[in-house]
Amino acid sequence: MLAFLIAGFTALMIGASIGPLQALNYGGINAYPALHPVLKSYYQGLTIHGVLNGYVFTFFITSGLLVYLPARELGLHPNLLLWRSGFVLMAAGALMLLWSMFDNSSSVLWTFYPPLQASAVFYLGMTLLSIGSIVPLPILLEMRATWKHRRRGELTPLVTYMSLVTMLMWGLASIGAVAELLLQLDPWALGFTSTVDPIIGRTLFWLTGHPIVYFWLMPAYVSWYGLLSRQAGGKLVSDPMARLTFVLLFVFSLPVGSHHQFDDPGFSPIWRGILVALTMSVALPSLITAFTIGLSLEFAGRVRGGKGWFGWFRALPWSNPGVAGQVLAAITFIFGGATGVVQGSWQLDNIVHNTIFIPGHFHVTVGSVTAMTFMAVSFWMVPHLTGRSLISRRLALASVWLWFAGMSIFALGMHWAGLFGVPRRAWISALPPSEYHTLYGMAHVPLALVAIGGVVLWLATFCFYVVFFGTILFGSRGTYREPIPFARAFGGRESYAIDLPLTDETTPVGIVAHPALSPLARTLEHVGLITLGTAVVTAAAYIPILWPFVHHLTHAPGWIVW
Amino acid sequence: MNTQSPGPDFEHAFHRSAERHERVWIFCVVTMLLLLTAGTMFYAVYDYGVVTKGAAFHADPTAPARETAFQDGRVIQTGPNAYSVYMVGHLWMWSPSPIHVKQGAAITFYVTSTDVLHGFEVQGTTINLTAVPGIVGTVSYNFSHPGTYHIICNEFCGIEHQAMIGRIIVDPATRS
Ligand code: HEM
Ligand SMILES: [Cu+2]
Ligand SMILES: [Cu+2]
Repeated sequence: MLAFLIAGFTALMIGASIGPLQALNYGGINAYPALHPVLKSYYQGLTIHGVLNGYVFTFFITSGLLVYLPARELGLHPNLLLWRSGFVLMAAGALMLLWSMFDNSSSVLWTFYPPLQASAVFYLGMTLLSIGSIVPLPILLEMRATWKHRRRGELTPLVTYMSLVTMLMWGLASIGAVAELLLQLDPWALGFTSTVDPIIGRTLFWLTGHPIVYFWLMPAYVSWYGLLSRQAGGKLVSDPMARLTFVLLFVFSLPVGSHHQFDDPGFSPIWRGILVALTMSVALPSLITAFTIGLSLEFAGRVRGGKGWFGWFRALPWSNPGVAGQVLAAITFIFGGATGVVQGSWQLDNIVHNTIFIPGHFHVTVGSVTAMTFMAVSFWMVPHLTGRSLISRRLALASVWLWFAGMSIFALGMHWAGLFGVPRRAWISALPPSEYHTLYGMAHVPLALVAIGGVVLWLATFCFYVVFFGTILFGSRGTYREPIPFARAFGGRESYAIDLPLTDETTPVGIVAHPALSPLARTLEHVGLITLGTAVVTAAAYIPILWPFVHHLTHAPGWIVW
Repeated sequence: MNTQSPGPDFEHAFHRSAERHERVWIFCVVTMLLLLTAGTMFYAVYDYGVVTKGAAFHADPTAPARETAFQDGRVIQTGPNAYSVYMVGHLWMWSPSPIHVKQGAAITFYVTSTDVLHGFEVQGTTINLTAVPGIVGTVSYNFSHPGTYHIICNEFCGIEHQAMIGRIIVDPATRS
């Protein structure tokens, strides 16, 4: 597990040190000429930033977390051989990606739309990384089967259930990108085929590229539902609601990927209408989460003596960086949800499509919700795994607060500037100053905010890595190992409680199942059927879209133009 | 762990009220989403003009650009103040550009690319369409305000992507 954490956070470290350069670019400051020995262009840096943060960082942490936590919860050993091979596949993929990105042979950005043509090393690395990221699925299935065999008729414990649904979702979702890579891009880059079809590639990419957002989000939810309430000193308000959220995210996230292509030619208006409706439904599970997590925190706050409307909020254990990080992450998510609804609706999307509104949006989702939650998790998990205590609780707190502040300023600027039509992915600081001014002068204030936010984030990143690596290397060793703070659910008949005794490392964690099972949770046990249903709906959504494309193939040759 | 248990009574009461609120919340959320969805669908039906529609597909990505319309016509007048513009994105410029029209002009753009993906965004309007090699996309818009509009490429297309800017100049309709 530690290996996954270290690999993931190392990727983030490289990626996150490039991010602020991009923020400065939007503020009109061009740092790239000075960096020429390392980064040949803005676009090379942006490729590295997107790939390392978006894929490598999140895949490693998630593949670790979603095996480790369920194994502890069930008290079972995961299939170590599989888990390690997943790690090796992803590590090999990540190294290949790094290699091909740093030699500037593959500055195609993290979406690698053909017919821009990266090197074969890049596509093969991406293939290995994607395949490696699915490995937790068979491990989880096997563990759940063993557990179910031992305890017939009982419901899968919550953390395992949430992890499994996440991985099932990802297993289906990754089919798109893996197909694009294996069928189109790998053969093309290796020279077996000389042309590709751009719109099919793009459609397959978004089959994965939309649900990947939920693959970023759901592991953070696992921590919010499964651990946070315990860490805050309370209980989880509703266990069946947690399950329902995950299933809804799974079902709604898959068929709607092509809403990223609202502005592509070749999409019929009827499909657009249906997609708008489905995209909106994705908001439902997020709003349930807001409710359940909010209430669980309120309970914790009241138990700790908070009174009145907001007293409970103040009474939360803010001095604990593991809690503070997650609560702050949850707050940024409120903005993320609101701006997501904007994008989902078709008319507004026409205005903000591919402007920096969009990266503004996903930095308050993946860039804060996921990143901050993972940071917060590392604050208890590193001590838990190594037996060393955090070298500085203060610095850890500072890093999450700075991240929160920086992201808020940054995202405010990005969203606002997006409304002025400032495009994303544009090296605008390399334009002649007069040109920059005529085009984007009216967005001066928001663009300055972007740059300021970027600098604050740099500080936050620095603080975090001092704590992270400092603790691993120099934290004082103790005999006491912090246990995993599995949540307890509360309630009478409706809830299925996972009331665990807090045990230490050595004793496997047993499950005390609640005898009265909720009918909702019981229905949701049929994950196989749910998966099948989703697969059918997804196929139904994609076949009509892909059909005209397959019948009108375009043979586009590759371009290397950076 | 003393603070952890203010008594089962409190826990019980909290749980009861939580369940009540849960139902209300879910009801509100569902209603809100339905309204939002209906609203967007309504827009979608009524505001057809900015909706991008697929047109022709071609096997050879450079084929559309060789069609006569894209070659010589480029800006074709189709009515008193209506035009068809055959717009080609290629590394790294838009042609034709600049385009001169009168205030109030209704322009239908036919957009394609001869090489990689480009993004056809006209700043300050709802025009936003991906230029895909081998596919010709269509979008219409009424330029009712005079001024200089910038066509900004918003799909990454290589090292000069940020400089791929075109212009549409809309002259005020002073004389009749
Ligand atoms: C250190 C703080 C960070 C800063 C200052 C930052 C800044 C930026 C900026 C300014 C962009 C827009 C670039 C453009 O469109 O031209 C961007 C893109 C992006 N960022 Fe970040 N970022 C940070 C952290 C993160 C994190 C933590 C993640 C994910 C976990 C992330 C994922 C991405 C992705 C996926 C893109 C899209 C790249 C693309 O459009 O090709 N960033 N970042
Ligand atoms: Cu372009
Ligand atoms: Cu471009």
